Order: sequence, then C-alpha cells, then structure tokens
Amino acid sequence: MKKLLNWFRRRHLERDLDRELKYHVDRRVSDLVLSGLSESEARRQANLELGGVTLVREEVRDVWLTRWLRDFVYDLRFSARSFLRSPSFTATAVLSLALGIGATTAIYSLVDQVVLRALPVDHPERLVLIDWNGEQLAETLGSDNLMSYAICRDLQQQKEFFDGVFCRAATTINLSTGGEPRLNAAELVSGTYFSVLGVRPALGRLLTIDDDQIPGSSPVVVLSYDFWKNQFGSAQDVVGRKVLVNQHAMTVVGVAAPAFHGIDVGEVPSLWIPAVMSAQAIPGFNTMLDRRTRWVQILGRLKQNASWAQAQAGLQPWFKAMLDEDTRRTKVSRVSAERRRQFLASTLRLTPAPQGHSILRHDLSRPLWVLFVVTALLLVLACLNVAGLFLARGSARQREISTRLALGASGGRVGRQLLADGVLLAFAGGLLGVVMAPITVRALIAFLPRSIAANDLQANVDTRLLLFAFLVSLATGFLAGAAPALQAGRKSLVSSLRERAGTAFGGLSLRRAIVTAQIAFTLILVIAAGLFVRTLSGLLAKGPGFDTSSLIWFGIRPTQNGYSPADANRLIRRIHDEIRSSTSTQSSAVANFPLLVGGAWNNPLTIQSTERLTTDRDVHLNAVTPGFFATLGTRIVRGRDFDEHDSLPVNEGGQRVVIVNEAFVKRYFGGRDPLGAHVGMGSGPNVKADTEIIGVVEDISYRSVRERWEQAYFPIGAQYFGSIFYVRFQGTAESAFAAMRAILRNADPTLPIASFRTLDEQVNRSLNTERMLAALSSSFGTLALLLSLVGLYAVMSFVVTQRTREIGVRLALGATRLSAVWLVLRDALVMIAAGTAIALPCVWVLGRLVETHLYDIKPTDPVAILMATLVLCSTGLCAALIPAHRAVGRNERCA
Amino acid sequence: MPSSRFPIPQGTLDMLILQILSLEPAHGYGIAQRLQQISRSVIQLNQGSLYPALHRLEQKKWLKSEWRQSETGREAKFYSLTPAGRKQLAVEKQSWAELSRAVRLIFNESN
Repeated sequence: MKKLLNWFRRRHLERDLDRELKYHVDRRVSDLVLSGLSESEARRQANLELGGVTLVREEVRDVWLTRWLRDFVYDLRFSARSFLRSPSFTATAVLSLALGIGATTAIYSLVDQVVLRALPVDHPERLVLIDWNGEQLAETLGSDNLMSYAICRDLQQQKEFFDGVFCRAATTINLSTGGEPRLNAAELVSGTYFSVLGVRPALGRLLTIDDDQIPGSSPVVVLSYDFWKNQFGSAQDVVGRKVLVNQHAMTVVGVAAPAFHGIDVGEVPSLWIPAVMSAQAIPGFNTMLDRRTRWVQILGRLKQNASWAQAQAGLQPWFKAMLDEDTRRTKVSRVSAERRRQFLASTLRLTPAPQGHSILRHDLSRPLWVLFVVTALLLVLACLNVAGLFLARGSARQREISTRLALGASGGRVGRQLLADGVLLAFAGGLLGVVMAPITVRALIAFLPRSIAANDLQANVDTRLLLFAFLVSLATGFLAGAAPALQAGRKSLVSSLRERAGTAFGGLSLRRAIVTAQIAFTLILVIAAGLFVRTLSGLLAKGPGFDTSSLIWFGIRPTQNGYSPADANRLIRRIHDEIRSSTSTQSSAVANFPLLVGGAWNNPLTIQSTERLTTDRDVHLNAVTPGFFATLGTRIVRGRDFDEHDSLPVNEGGQRVVIVNEAFVKRYFGGRDPLGAHVGMGSGPNVKADTEIIGVVEDISYRSVRERWEQAYFPIGAQYFGSIFYVRFQGTAESAFAAMRAILRNADPTLPIASFRTLDEQVNRSLNTERMLAALSSSFGTLALLLSLVGLYAVMSFVVTQRTREIGVRLALGATRLSAVWLVLRDALVMIAAGTAIALPCVWVLGRLVETHLYDIKPTDPVAILMATLVLCSTGLCAALIPAHRAVGRNERCA
Repeated sequence: MPSSRFPIPQGTLDMLILQILSLEPAHGYGIAQRLQQISRSVIQLNQGSLYPALHRLEQKKWLKSEWRQSETGREAKFYSLTPAGRKQLAVEKQSWAELSRAVRLIFNESN
C-alpha cells in the first residue's frame, strides 16, 4: 500500500534521487581529478563505477514500486487515455458491466441478508433448530417448525448435547407506552433465550430463567434497542417504567444490545416477553403448558464438540420414550390407529441454524438463489460482450499492437496491457454498479410482504457487499480482458503483420456461438417477461369480482384490549351502528375474516341433500353480517341474504343458515338447486348437517385475486364473531378514514386498529408477487436484450471489419448497396434464427416451472412468444444494420 | 565491471550499511568511501547497488534521511539509523556471528 503511495509522490522522489546521484558523481569526479585524472576521464570513470546513472535510477525506482506494479500503473494510465479517446465504446462497455455488476451485487445483498448472514451472537455456528419430524397430534398456533413449550423444558434437561435450549414464538400485541396504543411485534421467549444466544443488555438486565417459571407471574419485558431509541428517545431511566401489553401492566427491565434484532430476519420484534406471560400476550391462549399445543420454535446451542448429527442420533432414545409416555395420555389414546402409528413413528430432527429461524428465509431462499443465478448469467453475458467489444476494437487496434510487437514488446506485455484495459473497465463498471445496487435492493425490498413486524433488510452498502462487488469486478475484468489478451499473446508477430492482408481471425465461430446462445437466453427471458406482464394485466383487469372503488376496510381487536367476548360483541355492534349513521357511509358490513390478505378460514363441510357427502377439499369460510354482499356489490343470484333474525341463537327463534357461492354449487350440486339442502361443519360420521343453505352468491376473490374457490358464509351473531369492517363510502377516502377513526376513538380511545386500507390498495398488495415477477422479469428481459444487442453489434462490427475488403471488391464489381448490406445482415439473421430455434423448445420445457405463477394463459402463450420474438428480431436486425451500413458507406467513400 | 577483489557477499550489504551508519550519519558517497577504507579495500563494492539498497532500507524504515550541508559545503542527502534500524543491526550481527561460528566449526572439523 505504501508502495502505491510512492506512485503519487514519484515526482518528488525522482528529483531527490537526481540530486543524490549528481552529488555522488560530482564528488567522485572531483576526487578523481585530485588524484590526477583529466576532467572528462574522471567523469567517464565515475559513471563506470556507478554502472550507469540510468540503470541505478531504474533500480531505485523498482524499490519504490515493484516493477510489475509500476508497469501495471503505466498500463492503466495508457488504458484510461485510450478509453477517453473512444467514449462511445467506453460508455457501452462500462454500462453493460455496471448493469451486470449492479444487479448481481443487489441480489447478492439480499441473498446475504436473508440466507447467509449469521446472527450477531456468540458462536452462531453452534445453534441448531430442533424440529418434530412426523405427526404431532397437536393444535397449531402459528406456522413452521412448531413444537410444544413442554418439550422445550424437557430439552433443557438434555445437557449431554446442549449448552442450552430456548424457545420463541412471534406474536403481535397491543402495546401502549403512554401515548396512543399501537400494534407491535413481540417475541414470547423462554427464560433461557438471551443467555443461550449470548446476547448482552445495553441497559438494565435481560430475561432470565427466573422470569419464566409460573404462568402469569412475571410481568416484565425487555425492549429492543431500536424500539427504545425510537419510542423512548433512548431515555436512560426507562428501566422500571410500566408499559401496557394488551392492557396488562408490565415492567421494563432492560434493553437488548443494539446489533441484536431477534432471530428472525423477516420479523423484528419491538420487545421480548417471557413465555409464561403468553396468556396475557395472546388473548384467549391458555394452553401454554399443554403438550398437545404446538406454538413455539425450539433452538439449542450444541456443546463445543458435539455435531448436530451426533446430537440428533443421541436424542432419539429419549424422544421415543417421551412419545410412549405421551400415548398414555388421554387425548392421544382417542385418535385413530393410523394417526397413532404416525405419531409413534415421529423422530426429532436437528438442523444447523446459525442464521436463526425465519419463515421469510424459508419462503425466499429458493427464489433468491434463482435470481442470483440469473443475474450471474447476465453478468457473464456482459463479460463476454465486453470481451467481444474488445476483440472488435482489437481488430481496429491491430496496427498499434503489431507495431508494439515489432518493436520488441513480448506477447505477455501486450496481453497485460489488454488485461489492464479489462480491469480498468470492470472497476469503472463496478463503481457504477455499487452506486446502483442500493436503489435496486430498495425496490426489491418494497415487494416483500409487509406486516406489523418490520423486516431487518437494509439497502445499505456495507463492507461485505463492497468486498463482493470488488471481487466480482476483478473477476469480470479478468474475464473480459483475458480473451483479447490471450489472442494477442498467442499470435506470432508474422501472423499479426499478415493480418492486414485479410487472413481470417480465429475464434469467430466461437463468438458467433456465444452470441447465438445469448440471443436464445434473451428470448427466454423476454418471453417470461411477456408471460408475467400478461398475467399481471389479466389479474388487474379481472379484479377481485367486486367493485373496489370507494371501499375501505379496517379491523379492530377488542379482545387484545381486555374485552370479554360478550363485551366485544356489544362494542362492535355499537361501532357498527355509528358507522351506518355516519354521513360518509353508503353501506357497511362486518366480517370475521378479511379478504385478499392471503389467508382464509378453511374447513371441510358435510353436505346433506338427496345424499350425504363430504367436500373433497377445504371450503373457504367466513362469517358476515346482513348487507355484506350488498356492500361489496356482489349479487345474490338465488335465495336471500341474511337478516337480523338469522343472528339470533337457535333457542331464541334463530335458525342455522348458510350462503354458498356459485363455485360451491357447481362443484357439489352439479346443476341442481342447492336451496334447502343442509350442511355441517367438518367431516366424519358425527357431523350434524343442520345448517340450511338459504342463498347463492356470485364468486368473489377471498384469499387472492387469482383464486376461484368454493366459499360458504355464516351469519355473525350467536355462533360467530367478527371485527373486520367493510365500508363503502361517499366523498374522498381521506374524509372517510377520518370519520371512521373518529368513531373508533369515540368508542374506545385505547382500541388498536389492525389495518386501515382502501380495497384498491388491498388488491395491489395481494398482487405483490405477480408485480414482483412482472417487474423482475421485465427488467431482466430488458437487460438481457440490451446486452445481447451489444453482443450482436460487436460481432457484426468485427465481421464487417474483416470483410471490408471483400465488400469493396464486390461493390467495385457492380454489386448493389442492398446486396452488400444483405451480405452482412444474412450473417446476423442466421444467428438470430438459430437463437430463436434454441429458445423455443426451452420455453416449452421451462414453462412448466412457472405455470403455477401464471393466470389464464399457458406458458406457450402465442401472443407473448410472438411479441417477444418480434421485439428481439427487429432490435437485433437494427443492431446488425449499423455496422453493415457503415461498411458499405466506408467502401463507397474509399472508392 | 572491474572485479579483482572480493565481491560483496549476497545479502551482507544491508548489514554493512547499517553498521557504518550506526557510527554516524553519512551520505551515499561517504558510505561508499567508508566501506572501502574500513575493509582496507578488500571488499569491492559495486557503487551502483548502494543506492537501491539505501532506498530499500529507508523504505523499511530502518534508515531515515535528510538533506544537510556536507563537508564540501554542498547539500547532500544524509542517512542515519532509526531505532528500528538499530534493532535490525543487532539482529543481523547476531545471526552473522552465529553463521560464521558455524562455518568455522565446519572448517575445523574437516581439518
């Protein structure tokens, strides 16, 4: 590094050295003159003794800066000068490298953050996820890798393999820190959580095993550093303050270390609560210690020298014994023999979890790797292109290189010059790429599903990323520079001098093959883009099956505010009455489950009409108030809507009724009239089908816009509860929001509001994946298209340079301009046609992979394929036409 | 290159320069002359290799240099030892002593 600094002060160093050597020579000369030599003879001898001032100077320069480095710096300077002389070439090359490096860096940033990065805790490599492999016979609360809390306590006793075991469950709580109550992400954790992870407090203390003993006994919380900073303004006296968690007072005992954001990169908690407080944190949850309720993820820290495989094998005897013991418990003994067998066949599975546990990672790692491979491929294409551009330029630089070779430069020396070209370009591209990367990452993060828990993904450029970009740029530079360098190094002087005479250049067929492959790859991407864009526009045009304009929804969670179910019902009734009487309301309704959020209430139904049958798959269920369909604008095609009467309990004159949708009728009734038939909840012989079908409604989207599924609606009232409001408003959305907010605040100022959204926005959100696919495939398609056009252009320029003479002769012999242009274009057409011929069968094969992501079109959609091919062919021909035209023009001028 | 006397052994030039400079600061020409004098002209120095050596030692921070008036009144670049250079000299002296003792042993053995 210091040596590189010498490069910048070389002028000063040179002057010093000159003076120093001059002093030496002058002194020697005067000494020699004193000893009797003539002045000129003395000078000659002094120089001789020194071995030549130039040589000494050169050797000292080598000390300052190692020879090869110095030469390389000269090379770079030479490269920079020659690049500045041809700005359009430079811009094309730098830009294509920048796009390639930028995209790769951006995707790598996400791969790193989501998939690769270990937790900022002590020895993360020793963390393992402990999971049940098989049938648990348990009620489920949450998703992915769940086990019961009791098993976590059991595992804590397995000290032979673990230094410690902890469990955690992510949840959402209504948190009040003094101001307005807010929904916040929290993590319910065992008392061992912090100590096993090795996290230290930034303030106060963290949760300990003492905080996790008796249910309901430890109303304490630990805040995350960011939450403490943002919500409490980093108040030093925060320890000891009370916060309200779902209206239960809890004491802040400490703040966790700044770098620690929980163990799930996709869900960053604001605070940690001991697991024994789960009944307070999750209203209605009171089976915390039940072995048949699974709701936590369990992670352990392996002993220093234990491997996860050893621990997994070593734990099985204990696990089998526990299963046996479990079967003697009543609940398990009641299940069918088959499920009991499955239960007993379960094993314990350990997986290394240095990155913690994350559903986001589970969902995203495969798509991210696919993206990464695609971008890496694009980068390789960009490299090949730049190499191609170099070769094209190389043929123009032939004379210069021949001259240098003739003057005695070694092949390696010239090759290094070309390598310097490549490296310089790559670093310029890399620099630009690093500037672009955060913008891309930000755009990608925006596509991720957003919930109350923020994800921990950042668009920052950190040192890891810079290192990655640097290495990629370096590799790119070598790859792009290597081909021309090798070519220059390989060629003998004679052949390079003969080159001008028109011998064919080696490697051209290889380059044609590369461009052909590039065109094929591009066509695949452009077709994919076409398919995804058509899917998105198709879904947007279709919509959810009801009019989304002037429609908003929001949800409240009264039970998280300490309301009993009966009180909650009364509160919702009161709020609904006020909403209905508001001037901004046209119509309104309440539902049990929100639409278009990705989930639904699923259950099989038993149908009793002329015969008894059970639905062959889950029906999507919801409970709604009268007027729900009218509010959405969905037509009731047969029968009637619910009325107030339907919500009464059966013993007070109400009756059990249900409304089903057209898809349900089509699947289970064929053409027959479903009115009057009965259904029952669930499957099996014990189900009583006592609920009468009183109406049929049009199909609407429930889980997502693309889905058409069987649905059944029950009335809200005696049996079913609901706190999701749908309001069709008049006036602006803002005024409607304000009016609704005022009503809610008036009813209970401490009530948390879960969501507040227009249905238009909800539709957009639910199409996030589709939009991401469309956006990504379009940008990749465009990128690939640009790159392959550059590639085609480079090859064609090259070919044209090679054939200038031939074209000249043809023109001189009377060929028309058109036929001369055709001569060149034919070459390009062959490549485009070959590329297309390769791509189309690939589309047919690869199409199956994306079929599930498409809507209403086949992967072999002729419109998408035709459009993509047309775009590629026309732009490709344009790229080829420029050099062709130039060749003819040049020849005419020459003639 | 005239060579009638001993060529300087590979790698020892650095040590000799350090030794000479440990007595007092000197400029390049001075060092060359001192080398000749002290070794009673037994060692033959290629003066051209002196300067790269000086710059290399300076780069290693064993020497420091400054422009100062010389005995003739002209400005010359004077080199002097840094503390690190002094330490290095001790190390090299030590290993040289060990080496020459070992060589002598071997010679005595074979007699």
